[in-house]
Amino acid sequence: MLVEALTYPFIFLAVFFEVFLLVTFLSEPARERRSRALSTQTPKVAVVVPCWNEQNTIQGTVESLLALDYPADKLEIILVDDGSTDNTPAVMDQYAENPQVTVIHKENGGKHTAMNLGIEKAHDAVYVGCLDADSYVAPDALREIIAYFDDEKVAAVTCAMSVWDPKTLLERMQNADYIHGITLRHVISSLNGLYVTPGPFSFFRRDIVLKVGGFRNAHNTEDLEMALRLQNAGYILENAPRARVYTKTPLTVRALVKQRTRWTTGFLRNVIYDYRHMIGNKQFGTLGLFMIPIGLIANVSGIVMFGVIVVRTVQAIWNQIALVSGFPLLYTLTPHVSFSFLFFPVSFIMLLSLIMLMGAVTTMLVGKHISKTSGNLFVGIIMYMTFYGLIAPIWLIRSMYDLITGTRRGWR
Amino acid sequence: MKLILGRNLLISLIITLVLIGTVIYAINFLNQQRVAQLSELQDQLATDTLSLETQFALLEEAPCENLTEGNTLSTEVSNLGDRLSSTETQLGSTNEQVIQLKKQYTLLQIRDYLLTKRLSATCHVNPTVVLYFYSNKPGSCADCDRAVYALSYLHNQNPKLRVYAFDYDLALGALDTLKSVEKIQPNFPAFVINGKTSYGFTTLNSFETLFPKDFFATSTATSTATTTAKKK
Repeated sequence: MLVEALTYPFIFLAVFFEVFLLVTFLSEPARERRSRALSTQTPKVAVVVPCWNEQNTIQGTVESLLALDYPADKLEIILVDDGSTDNTPAVMDQYAENPQVTVIHKENGGKHTAMNLGIEKAHDAVYVGCLDADSYVAPDALREIIAYFDDEKVAAVTCAMSVWDPKTLLERMQNADYIHGITLRHVISSLNGLYVTPGPFSFFRRDIVLKVGGFRNAHNTEDLEMALRLQNAGYILENAPRARVYTKTPLTVRALVKQRTRWTTGFLRNVIYDYRHMIGNKQFGTLGLFMIPIGLIANVSGIVMFGVIVVRTVQAIWNQIALVSGFPLLYTLTPHVSFSFLFFPVSFIMLLSLIMLMGAVTTMLVGKHISKTSGNLFVGIIMYMTFYGLIAPIWLIRSMYDLITGTRRGWR
Repeated sequence: MKLILGRNLLISLIITLVLIGTVIYAINFLNQQRVAQLSELQDQLATDTLSLETQFALLEEAPCENLTEGNTLSTEVSNLGDRLSSTETQLGSTNEQVIQLKKQYTLLQIRDYLLTKRLSATCHVNPTVVLYFYSNKPGSCADCDRAVYALSYLHNQNPKLRVYAFDYDLALGALDTLKSVEKIQPNFPAFVINGKTSYGFTTLNSFETLFPKDFFATSTATSTATTTAKKK
């Protein structure tokens, strides 16, 4: 009972958070943002594609950029090869003759250096975007994004990410998670609470990015740190919920854990080491008072709740083994309990967890609807509800371990 | 912006509290339904008790062949122990209605046990009978779960086995008398197998040695009595 009691505050917070998302979704600022039309203005923009060993995906990325519904003379594409060792440079060079495309080769220095070089080269662009070389954009995505730069204080606009052509169960699970993130970003941006400007197709005012000093390595999460720095400087971060971008995601659990460990550790290190003053600081509004604290609590709660589940499961298995040892296996494996709904052991935790999951599913369906993302989400939701909670604690625990021990891991 | 944040947080908090309140209400409602269903079974218990009383009376006059198969409790009532046990987990062992039902059920079991004994003496039938005493007090019976599992297994092997399970701590005069007659000490699990008392449970093999040899030779299926009111 004492062990279960540990989970009560965390489940309460999880339910509260899902409710908060849905309440804010219905509130006026979010509704106003959903009602915005495509931009008719076409200011000069540049998209920087930092690239390291992406020979299989870079071509699709560039082609999707060239297919954007935007005047060609207003859209510059800057491909930055960050010292790739595979065939990426050759694939990039195929576009060297295209007047819209600039190809730059440099020594490997990290994604942030490639971004900074690209931004520097985009001399006459009002806005600069970033697109990871494993991502593809919808044709109207850029016009959607430009519509959210109406306020001079808006320094960046993020988009609606989902998984490119999810086929495997793991990809579908991640797709459900990404689509949950669409609602999350849309809702939180309506209260200026964004804490990350993701690599896939976030746009920035070029002059502001230069003014705050460009991208940094920032514990291998330059996109997260840039968002925190812009917020710290008093700028607004917006989200365009219909600006769809599709990204490739890890194909194995091992790769997924590695990627998410980098993200989570980056969040923890940036917040705790470099932006500690924002935690609980009302000067930073939704970000300081709500999003950063709840992000930190979510990391702890994920670990605690996983710990409780593991302890209870091990106890149950141990007790069962102790109970049946010495009895014929055939009898042990035969079910002997008659099921009755009325006498099914429904508990407080079980029902609240169910509500939390229903909230998460609703949030996903909302995300799919507002972003007009196509595809079937059913399998992804099932996978998410079944396995996400079992896999996520692995990277949470790993991240906490890395944070405490000072362990540094590579990008890939 | 901060105003909207504050307002939304407040609304969300209220909704969350309402949801939690609804969950608490739903669980209480479910518990009430469980108790209500148990109340229905009280009537069944009363009927079965009356039936046993009648069988006792008939035994004075009727020939054995008409009675030996007739002293079994109904299937519905034989499931009551499982339901009682489940409800006791949900509502707690101090719930008045649960305690009352356990008392009724215990009485029914004792009556059935006495009838079985009388039939054995009068009609020369020889069922294997186990009186099983347990305690729900924390830490007082570490092996009771295994004991129940063993009894269930043996009943599965030989449906003629009649098991009567008693909560040693239940405040019931008839049960106290039974404990006194059988000289049961508060040492659990306690068994009376065909009149012989033993304590503790170690392994299935050693437990099986407490049973008469012919018990394992017979496996004729008949309708049977109780394997109920198990220790949780």
